[in-house]
Amino acid sequence: MMKRMIALALGSAAMLLPATMGAAQDASYKIPTVVKISGIQWFNRMQEGVDRFAEETGNDAYQVGPPQADAQLQVQLIEDMIAQDADAITVVPFAPEAVEPVLQRARDQGIVVITHEAADIENADYDIEAFSNAAYGEQIMKNLAECMGESGEYAVFVGSLTSKSHNEWVDAAVAYQEENFPDMTMVGDKNETFDDQQQAYQKTQELLRAYPDVAGFQGSASTDVAGVGLAVEERGMEDDTCVMGTSLPSISEQYLETGAVDRIFFWDPALAGYAMNELAVHMLDGGEVTDGMDLSPEGYQDLSLQGKVLYGQAWVEVDQSNMADYPF
Amino acid sequence: MARLFARNETLVATILLLFIIVTSIVDPSFLSVPTLFDLLRNGLIMAIFAIGVLLVLISGGIDVSFTALAAFAMYATTKTLVETGVEGSMALALAMSGGIGLCLGLVNGFFVGTMRLPTLIVTLGTLSAFRGALLTFVGSQLISNVPDGMRDFSRTMLLRGTNADGYFYSLPAAVLVLLLVVVLTWFILYRTMLGRNIFAIGGSLDSARRIGIPVTKVQYFIYAYVGTISGIAGIVHASLARVANPFDIVGLELSVIAAVVLGGARLQGGTGTITGTLLGVALIVVINNSLITLGIPSTWQNIVIGLLILLGTGVPAWQARRSGRTE
Repeated sequence: MMKRMIALALGSAAMLLPATMGAAQDASYKIPTVVKISGIQWFNRMQEGVDRFAEETGNDAYQVGPPQADAQLQVQLIEDMIAQDADAITVVPFAPEAVEPVLQRARDQGIVVITHEAADIENADYDIEAFSNAAYGEQIMKNLAECMGESGEYAVFVGSLTSKSHNEWVDAAVAYQEENFPDMTMVGDKNETFDDQQQAYQKTQELLRAYPDVAGFQGSASTDVAGVGLAVEERGMEDDTCVMGTSLPSISEQYLETGAVDRIFFWDPALAGYAMNELAVHMLDGGEVTDGMDLSPEGYQDLSLQGKVLYGQAWVEVDQSNMADYPF
Repeated sequence: MARLFARNETLVATILLLFIIVTSIVDPSFLSVPTLFDLLRNGLIMAIFAIGVLLVLISGGIDVSFTALAAFAMYATTKTLVETGVEGSMALALAMSGGIGLCLGLVNGFFVGTMRLPTLIVTLGTLSAFRGALLTFVGSQLISNVPDGMRDFSRTMLLRGTNADGYFYSLPAAVLVLLLVVVLTWFILYRTMLGRNIFAIGGSLDSARRIGIPVTKVQYFIYAYVGTISGIAGIVHASLARVANPFDIVGLELSVIAAVVLGGARLQGGTGTITGTLLGVALIVVINNSLITLGIPSTWQNIVIGLLILLGTGVPAWQARRSGRTE
């Protein structure tokens, strides 16, 4: 047991090396990771993390996902995994409420259940989140404020007023600004884009007309900053505006290149996949889950435990210089 | 004079004017060339779609599938061009997307014309089928590295200016596509026998059949034409946004139909004008683009648009009923 812990700690220190020391000869656990949908870039990236975990620790960890984002298909897959005697199941649920019953069945059979992107889930041992929404929102605001020289007008976008995480990011960002950057002002209301780039584009044009001095934009949906970036670029305002927000390199690349979008934020699904599996093995080995515990992927050290949710600080910040490192 | 006021165009134009006046009082800079260019650019896709919908409404049908068709044509075209490495010109993309749109439109034409099924049911079915086929067989991933031809097109401007702060405002060449569609549709509707047949079918399908109008052929034409211009609208949209997103466009159909109805086209068929349609689109676009200026919060925006649609379509209908009673 102790040996294994040491091996794990060593393994984590040298995570990027082809570490085989963690591959304990005795118990190899069977841990399927069930994602929302297979074949899309986001979950392909997560699979890289799961595969790396399997390789480094010798556990039988692998990823499966339905061909379509469909709650029912995902439930069936989880049922299959229970039937195949998995030791633990890690899940990124498409609709958390839809998987509750099947996850309860899994736990009744002694299977360890770890979820991701489902902070409100009931029937899981633990849910692991890359970050708390408030801390992430504040982080984006810190960057935006730095870019804007801590003064000036800025506008915020959310997918819709009902997207919970978007609103938590933006609310935390605005609260942080009010507390720390008195020379900055938010103009207008929270702008809804309905995850539609054209809406973000159109609203940016209007904001620029209504508030000619607006210089900062914070997006929430992954297409928001691309829409803002297009409007900013068409007007030739790349150097005079700061555009930041949640997005992915595959969506915002062309605007990061021209500087129309300054910096984007997201979390790396590969690390989340690795962390979920590592936590599962830790539990199967009888390890304790405590506030402040460490997992090996970057950003998952000093996890804060609230209820059954573990929060990391695993946001990734990407600009022109490092966007090539994240091909998804 | 009384007749002029009873017309939808007059009502819509009045509301539009009022809206512009109020917005300009709140923010005097609203009345400017950059605003006009922004509005034209943001409205042109909706306007192209609306012209297609107008044609269907005049013929007494309704088409709700055109958005799915546009998304299919747009995405399939972009994906093919990217995967074959044909960076090509915009003309090629337009032709391909229009061609795919035409083929899909013929599917609608078959069910409406040959099978004689109700248009709403047919197009509701094809809306879902085209969208499903796109996401299942063609792809569901966003393409942000669109071919150079398309990207160049988005950077081609008809007019370009610089404002006081040194920032650009510009009118994209894509408005030419709208202009072309408008002129062509106007010509078909008002200068050809085909156009008269479309009006006749919308007036009364049975009478049109009896007097020997080749109804089935005309219906094939209508849906193929709508398919073609929807495919063109789709690819223009993707070019201007510089991204082909298979989840885009679908969802617009009701606002487009609302704009056309607002502009005076009747759901019963037989009536509708291009001027009215363009005014209806202009109204919705102006409203959509002035709510931030007016400080109307997000949640209220849909209410305002809904109320205006009720007003714009309700008043003329109510007037028509009243005048019917007095006659």
